[in-house]
Amino acid sequence: MDFGFIMEAFPQIAAAIPVTLLMVFVSAGIGWVLGLAAALVRKNRTPVLSQILAVFVSFMRSVPSVIVLYIAYYVMPAVIYAYGQNIGWAIDINAVPPIAYAIFALTLSQAAYSSEVFRAAIAAVDEGQTEAAYSVGMTRAQALFRIVFPQAFATAMPNLGGLFVGLIKETSLAYYVGVYEITAVANLLSIPKLNFIEAYIMTTVVYEILSFLFNKCFRAGESRLKRFRANAAG
Amino acid sequence: MNYTYDFASIPGLILKILHAFPLTMGILLCALAISLTLGAAVAAGTMGRNRFLQSLCKGYISFMRGIPTLVLIFLLYLGMPQALKQLGIDIGSWNKAVFIIATLSLNASANMAEMMRASYLAVDKGQREAAYSVGMKPFTAFRRIIFPQALGIAIPTLGNNIILLFKETSLGFTIGVIDILGRARAISAASFGANKLEVYIASGIIYWIICIVLEQASRLAERAYTKGRKKAAG
Repeated sequence: MDFGFIMEAFPQIAAAIPVTLLMVFVSAGIGWVLGLAAALVRKNRTPVLSQILAVFVSFMRSVPSVIVLYIAYYVMPAVIYAYGQNIGWAIDINAVPPIAYAIFALTLSQAAYSSEVFRAAIAAVDEGQTEAAYSVGMTRAQALFRIVFPQAFATAMPNLGGLFVGLIKETSLAYYVGVYEITAVANLLSIPKLNFIEAYIMTTVVYEILSFLFNKCFRAGESRLKRFRANAAG
Repeated sequence: MNYTYDFASIPGLILKILHAFPLTMGILLCALAISLTLGAAVAAGTMGRNRFLQSLCKGYISFMRGIPTLVLIFLLYLGMPQALKQLGIDIGSWNKAVFIIATLSLNASANMAEMMRASYLAVDKGQREAAYSVGMKPFTAFRRIIFPQALGIAIPTLGNNIILLFKETSLGFTIGVIDILGRARAISAASFGANKLEVYIASGIIYWIICIVLEQASRLAERAYTKGRKKAAG
């Protein structure tokens, strides 16, 4: 164990935590909203769109995240470039930071995974709840937002927590598309003097702490939402 | 900047990449066997009477769920040989596939243990009591009464875990294992990166198809198994 290296490297690894968290929060924030929208579209069986979404979800859930990241990394520049040409801008592709591609890929994968979570959660809400809401004169939107969503979120919460912690771990793969997050920094610091053990133990500790903290947060959220659960009310 | 893609080459690439299919499946099966064994031991530990063993096994599960697979690979592949060298043991020359199997086994064993615990606890308590009441010994009761029912409950989760494990095998490329993704990258390197995107799409399609097959197989297995159960019960 080289404690000098640990003292020197730890602040730099810790400094990369915001990069990881930025990816996590943006991808989860946008991805889950898209996922909820996708779940509603598939629940309403909107023709064409719901079939396309079904294929998309199946693809994103079956293909390893590394491959999704790489595809985004190689496709996006071409798309952005072509778009720039269309609107007459010369966009400098090299100015786009790699983290944008990573966030794009992670957002899509979160959208796919969370849409399945939301779909199951919405389906778990008793059909009678919606009917009761209509019978007291609520509109479709009101029934959805006031009656169905609170109950569905209570059911979805544990799975969303798992998804979130999984996302934290997945961001480590962004290293392969050139994002300087926790794993990448640790790896780069360890190479000159081959301090692999120290570097990866530190990385492990950082990820364990992050997972632990967010697990706690979601547990707390779960117990707060419990009052919306049908069986807890009884 | 010039982007030219040759999507017609993808079917040919798929056939080329598929040469690595046996290695990926080998890694998957080895990791599956080890993780099931290890998971069973950990699950037994969490439900045993020994308090110390209980918290040790629970700690193990949450540790393995908090660490990104990538970091675990680096820890085992780069860190462990270094640590063992100081003790005079040289494992640097081991086949790289061993390290990826070890990583995936450890990582998946936590999921497997949770799965086994949940399905064991989901079997009605009265079943075991009834088995005891007709004079069965604990092991016989487990083997003949509890296990067959728990297995039926576990099959869908087991299917999911196997799919997760299969997707994780793709991380073998990070330490140079020539599995499906590793081979895809080698093909792309041989053409100096000219067909990077096509190669990743081709490997993505392979993973997609295999996942769909695994999913269907799991569904069939569940249906076949629970069907037999109901007949036996009736």
